[in-house]
Order: sequence, then structure tokens, then C-alpha cells
Amino acid sequence: MSIFDELQQAIIDGKAPVAKEVTERALGEGVRPAELFPNAIVPAMNEVGRRMRDCEFFIPEVLIAARAARAATDILRPLLVGDEEVRSAGTVVCGTVKGDLHDIGKNIVAMMLESAGFQIVDLGVDVPPEKVVAAVREHGANVVAMSALLTTTMVNMKAVIDALAAAGLRDQVKVMVGGAPVTESWAQSIGADGYGKDASAAVETARSLVAAA
Amino acid sequence: MTEKKTHRIIVRPTGVELRAPAGASLRDLLFEQGVEFPCGGQGRCRGCRVRVLEGTAEANAAQRERLSPQELEDGWRLACQCSLGDDLVVELRQWDAAILVDDTPFHFEPRPGLGVAVDLGTTTLVAQLVNLSTGKVLAVRTALNAQARYGADIMSRLQFAAAEDGRATLERLIRRQIASLITHLMVSAKVSGDEIRDVVLVGNTVMHHLFCGIDVEPLSHYPFESNEIGLQTFRASELEWNLNKASTVRFLPCLGGFVGSDILAGILATKLAKSLENVGLMDLGTNGEIVVGNQSKLYCASTAAGPAFEGARISMGMRAATGAICQVQVEDERLVCQVLGNVAPQGVCGSGLVDAVAAGLEIEAIQSSGRLGNGAKEWTLAEPVVLTQNDIRELQLAKAAIAAGSRILLERLGTSLQDLKMLYLAGAFGNYIRRSSARRIGLIDLPIDKVTPAGNTALLGAKLALFSLDGEDGSYTELRCRIEHVPLNADQSFQDIFVEELAFPSSTHVRS
Ligand code: B12
Ligand code: FES
Repeated sequence: MSIFDELQQAIIDGKAPVAKEVTERALGEGVRPAELFPNAIVPAMNEVGRRMRDCEFFIPEVLIAARAARAATDILRPLLVGDEEVRSAGTVVCGTVKGDLHDIGKNIVAMMLESAGFQIVDLGVDVPPEKVVAAVREHGANVVAMSALLTTTMVNMKAVIDALAAAGLRDQVKVMVGGAPVTESWAQSIGADGYGKDASAAVETARSLVAAA
Repeated sequence: MTEKKTHRIIVRPTGVELRAPAGASLRDLLFEQGVEFPCGGQGRCRGCRVRVLEGTAEANAAQRERLSPQELEDGWRLACQCSLGDDLVVELRQWDAAILVDDTPFHFEPRPGLGVAVDLGTTTLVAQLVNLSTGKVLAVRTALNAQARYGADIMSRLQFAAAEDGRATLERLIRRQIASLITHLMVSAKVSGDEIRDVVLVGNTVMHHLFCGIDVEPLSHYPFESNEIGLQTFRASELEWNLNKASTVRFLPCLGGFVGSDILAGILATKLAKSLENVGLMDLGTNGEIVVGNQSKLYCASTAAGPAFEGARISMGMRAATGAICQVQVEDERLVCQVLGNVAPQGVCGSGLVDAVAAGLEIEAIQSSGRLGNGAKEWTLAEPVVLTQNDIRELQLAKAAIAAGSRILLERLGTSLQDLKMLYLAGAFGNYIRRSSARRIGLIDLPIDKVTPAGNTALLGAKLALFSLDGEDGSYTELRCRIEHVPLNADQSFQDIFVEELAFPSSTHVRS
């Protein structure tokens, strides 16, 4: 098994200490930090996403895999600062809409996006539209990802889109939405650019939105 | 003027025949037949599926998104999205369930006159007419909540209330429906409205507000707290109810958040607030209310379990009605399913689901992570009824919400589940669920002799309240001071505990 495969396996199995050890060993053996992303971390999280989509993995397995991925990326990120070769896949501002405190799904989406190479600005829960606008401006975000779990707070996604438009930012940023009660057709009806049924779909949607921009 | 064409609809399995003009909505027609509309008819939840056996019903875009090509081909439609354009024969996916009433004997101080106790549930209503001098129940009446056509769960109801005239419509519907229930009670007991002195209603906070005409907007978003949760008193004449002019209608006070007077009534019925030792009460419905404590302090919360225990959002889930698998046992490594009405199995209800998963864990068809063995996508209980991987996930979410909610409340109380002297289960599901299975899946980790199915404690509590109205006005001020509502969404540890509780206990963990 190559050292890349070893790291991949450790992440899929959710073994954070192993992921940390393999990463350190790889660096010791002279592997460049930037190589570990496309060869181990990103494919590992793609596999985790596939297993989640196919119902093989559930929330606990996804969370521990994401934790293991983080054990590796925590070591690598400081080493990558200023490295021209690794470009971020894009910056995503995410949060749960105003009035809503459900964040388990949003956290999983954020973790999956992060391990897919996106920069994440997580605004937390109960996020008012103004806060999204300010964050998009400050970080020059490519994508806004909003989550809602309540029938009564879903409408606040539209408020975010309207606020971005009012601030003149709507054509600089793509908006994607998700959460249990949200559907594809509802996303279209409020003028969102993308929808994702689960966290792995969220990654695909984010990638295609950034590519299309 | 051209007259509109009328069409005929035959409803299976009831055999009811209806006539309605072309263009009439199937929602209104079938609601009268007991079909429920979980998302309020927005085409989102698939809960209102019916099967068109004869005739054509157009499937619109919403239906094409929600139903698979195979389902559409087989005649499945979302009743909420169809209007009548042909003569139809439709088969209903749901039938109305038996509603739990109460006939528990109780102690009372006699008072003159008659009283009515009403359990105003989100889904169902039960009303009893009681002779206040003898304690005898003279008549009982049950119904599906007429508001339910505008959404099965409280959030959908709140969403409907937010629209123009929405709240007024819901208020009118429920006040009229209860008036008619009371009229039916009087007719069957052959008494006149003049003899009725008091009416006591109990229900969750949303039902309380919608009946009493209080703005529900604060309940629709964070922090989900209203400051008008107290006792509400009406003169029967104000409600235009045909009772004695002097009779009083009281909606008992709520406890905070969505935890309403049905739970206050449950506390009265199970005497939690009089217990020297730590005891608990659980209502395993969509909102999953939990109370734990003793005579000096009680904590309560609602845990948003979702409707899995009622068989909703389960692919072949159904209410506990004819054709539902209601019990599953393992005999010689094989599944033995019991079907309500002894007919061919058509689906699985909440208690059957819990049993099935417990059995699956036992024979290792399901792993403790919730994964089906051998990576299977579905598991056959009894042809043609299967559980899918996703169904098991839904049950995991619901049971984790309950288990996490109770752990947090018990921590507040400074104790653990194992140290409770007794846990009472309120409501229909609590009455039918097999306690050993609830334990096996980690929903309630208690030996069965420490769990008591307590029936419709809301109705019993409302009846008890009727007898106390001479000494007390129904506001329960002192008692409510001892009950603290804990908003779980403010609890930092919830997510970690919830995730921990998602897995099923491994078999070595469960002691028999
Ligand atoms: C856990 C939970 C809670 C916890 C939340 C803890 C937390 N930190 O999040 C607590 C107990 C606090 C809670 C409280 C409430 N809840 Co709650 N809760 C749930 C529960 C059980 C599970 C939700 C969950 O976490 N699912 C797991 C995650 C992983 O799934 P997910 O969020 O759908 O996310 C996935 C996808 O949707 C997608 N996704 C999510 N976001 C995004 C975003 C983008 C951009 C994309 C592309 C994709 C995407 O990817 C995710 C991963 O695959 C559900 C019931 C159920 N069985 O589903 C009710 C439920 C959502 N709650 C509900 C309600 C009503 C409430 C309360 C209002 C009432 C109450 N009784 O307490 C409060 C309000 C809280 C608040 N202020 O917002 C209702 C909503 C009903 C409705 N029609 O709106 C539900 C459905 C239960 C029910 N009663 O029917 N709840
Ligand atoms: S799809 Fe929800 S009621 Fe019809």
C-alpha cells in the first residue's frame, strides 16, 4: 500500500491518530504537502461522500472521517501558506438561516467542502441576511451555502438572495441551498443557483457553480 | 350558464362513493375520508399518496419530482396536487387509526353539574362528557383535527397560519369542530347544554394559541417562545357555543416552548409532581415531549423526534390500521410478523418498525451502526413489506433525538435514566410499543418493569382538572413554578450527545 493509500484508508476509517501519524511520516519521507491533497485527502472524502449518498455511511461515520481528514489538514495548512501550486477550490460562506438553529447538516456540508479544498467561512446558526452580505464582501466569496430545516424558516433563504441583490453582489456570487425540507424546485423558485440533497451533492454543486462562474 | 360536469369517485378500501364537480380538489374530497396531508398539501412530503386504480388523474410537475416513474406508472398520485377530471377509483394509502381514549378510574371531589374534557391534539381530538357529581363518563367522541388538511405537523400549521387569513381560518375550524363534538356528546348522552358547567381543553402550545386566538408568529422562529402561554378563559357565549350562558371554557396553561397543557395534564394524571423519588413522563410523538423530576423540581423539553414513530417518512410506513405489521418477533432465527386485522401485510406501523429493527439487531440483519448486513439496500419483513436502509436511518434520527433529550434533562436533574423509579409513556405509540424492543434499539434503556404505558394522560389530566375547579381556577401557578422548560436548541452538548445516540446499542450492552 502506498503512503497515499494509507492516508486515504485512515480517513475513510475515521482514524484520526493514524491519519496524523501517516501525514507526518509522509512529510518525513519527503512528500510535498501539496501532493497529499489530490492524492489522498480529496479522493478519501469523495469516497466518504459516495458512501453517504449510498446510505453506507451515516452521520457518525461521516463526522469521524471528517475529523480524521482534519487531523491531516491541520498539519498541512500552515505549510501551504504562500504555496502557488495549491489554489483553493473557492471560498464558501455558509450558515443556517435566520430563525433556525439546526446545524448538524450544515456542519457536515462545511466539513465536506473543506476537505474538498474550499475555504470555509462558517457564520454559524440564526444568521441574518446582512451578515451574509458582509461576509461575502469581506472574503470575496464565490459561493453562499445556506441551510434550513424548518418549513417556517426556509423562506429566509429568499431573504438572503434578495439582500445580496440589493447590495449589488448577486452576480459575483452563486447561491446554493439545502436542508431536509428544501427541494430542487423550491430552490429554483426562489432564484437559487444550486441545490444539494446531501453533503456529497453539496460538494458537486459547489464545484460546478465555481467552474461555471 | 353551462353546468359543470360532475364526476364519481369510489374510494377503496372503504367503498365510499362521492360525487363532485370537475376541477374539485382531491385534497378537500379525500380529507373528509380521513386522508392526511402531512406537509399541508405543498407537494413536498409524499404523505398524501393515493393510488388511482381506474380513470386518469394528471400528474403535475411537483408529482413528477416526488414520485418515481415506476410509481407514476403504477397509478400513484399525490392527492394534494390533483384535481378531478375523470371518474376515478382510488385506493387510500392511509386509513384513520383508532384514537386512544381514557377510562382509567380516578379519585375526585364531587361537584354539581356536567363537564367536558377535551384533548386537542395536532392530529386527533378526543372529548369526554363527565358527570361531575359521580365521576362517570357519559359519552366519548373522537375525530381527526379539522386543521390537519392544512399540514400534519405543527410547523406546517404555523406556516399556514402566517398566510393571509390563515390563522383566522384555523381558529374558526377548530372552534366549530369542538362545538360540534360537544353537541354530539350531548345528543348521545341525552343531556342539554344547560347542564354543562365547565369545559377544559388541553393541547400543545400551537394548539393553545390557535384555539385561543393568540398570535403564533413568535412560535415560528427562534427562540420559539411565546409570552402568552397562560390559562385562557372564555364564556361559552363568546365562542358562540350552545351551552349554559354561565359555563366557562378553559384552555389550561402551557409549560414553555412547544410543551403545552397536554403535558401539564400528563403531570397531573401521573402525579409526577407528588413523587418523592425521581420519575419521568414521555410522549413519543412528533414533538417528543419529556418530563423528569420529583415533587420539588421538574424539567421538561420537546425533542423534535419527527414522525418516524407514527410510520411517516418510512417508505412502507403506515398508521396502525388494517394491514399494518404491528409486531415482529424472532423465532428460530426467523421473523414472525403480526398483521393488524390478520390480512396480507401492506405496510409497517411505528410499533412494528421498532420491533423489526430490534429483531434485525438480534439476528444481525442490522448492524449496530444501523447499516443493513451484507450491504443490502433493503430487508424483507414479510412479502411485500420491506424496510430500506433509509427507513432505518429515519428511525435512528428519531430515537437519537429522544435519547439525547432525556439524557440532557436527566443531567439537569443530577441523575441518570437507570436511577428513575418509573417512566410513564403517554399517548398511543407509548401504549403499543414493545418495551423490550424500545430498549433493544436504545430508545429507552430501562428494564420493562420500570416503564409503564399510561394511556391518554392528557385526557385524564383534563378530566382531573374539571374536578378541581372549585378550589383552583385552572392556572396551576404554584405547580408551574416547579416545572422548568429546557430549550434543547440552546444546549451546547446536544449535537455531540445526539450523534453518540444515533448508533444502536451492541448486544452485549443490553442486559435483559
Ligand atoms: C436534531 C434535531 C433537532 C435538534 C437540533 C440540534 C442541532 N444542533 O442541529 C434540536 C433538538 C435542538 C431541535 C430543535 C427543534 N426542532 Co428539530 N429536529 C432534529 C431532527 C431529529 C434531526 C435533524 C438533523 O440533524 N438531521 C441530520 C442532518 C445531517 O440532516 P440534514 O440537516 O437534512 O442535512 C443533510 C442534507 O439536508 C444536506 N444539507 C443540509 N444543509 C445543506 C445546505 C446546503 C447548501 C446543501 C447543498 C445541502 C445541505 O446535507 C446534509 C448532510 O447530508 C429532525 C427530525 C428528523 N427525523 O429529521 C427534527 C426537525 C427538523 N425539527 C423540527 C422542529 C419543529 C424543531 C423545533 C422548532 C421544535 C422542537 N420541538 O423543539 C426546534 C427548533 C430549533 C431551532 N431553534 O431551530 C421539525 C421540523 C418540522 C417542519 N415541518 O419544519 C423536525 C423535522 C422534527 C419534527 N417535529 O417533525 N431539532
Ligand atoms: S405531498 Fe405533502 S400533503 Fe401532498
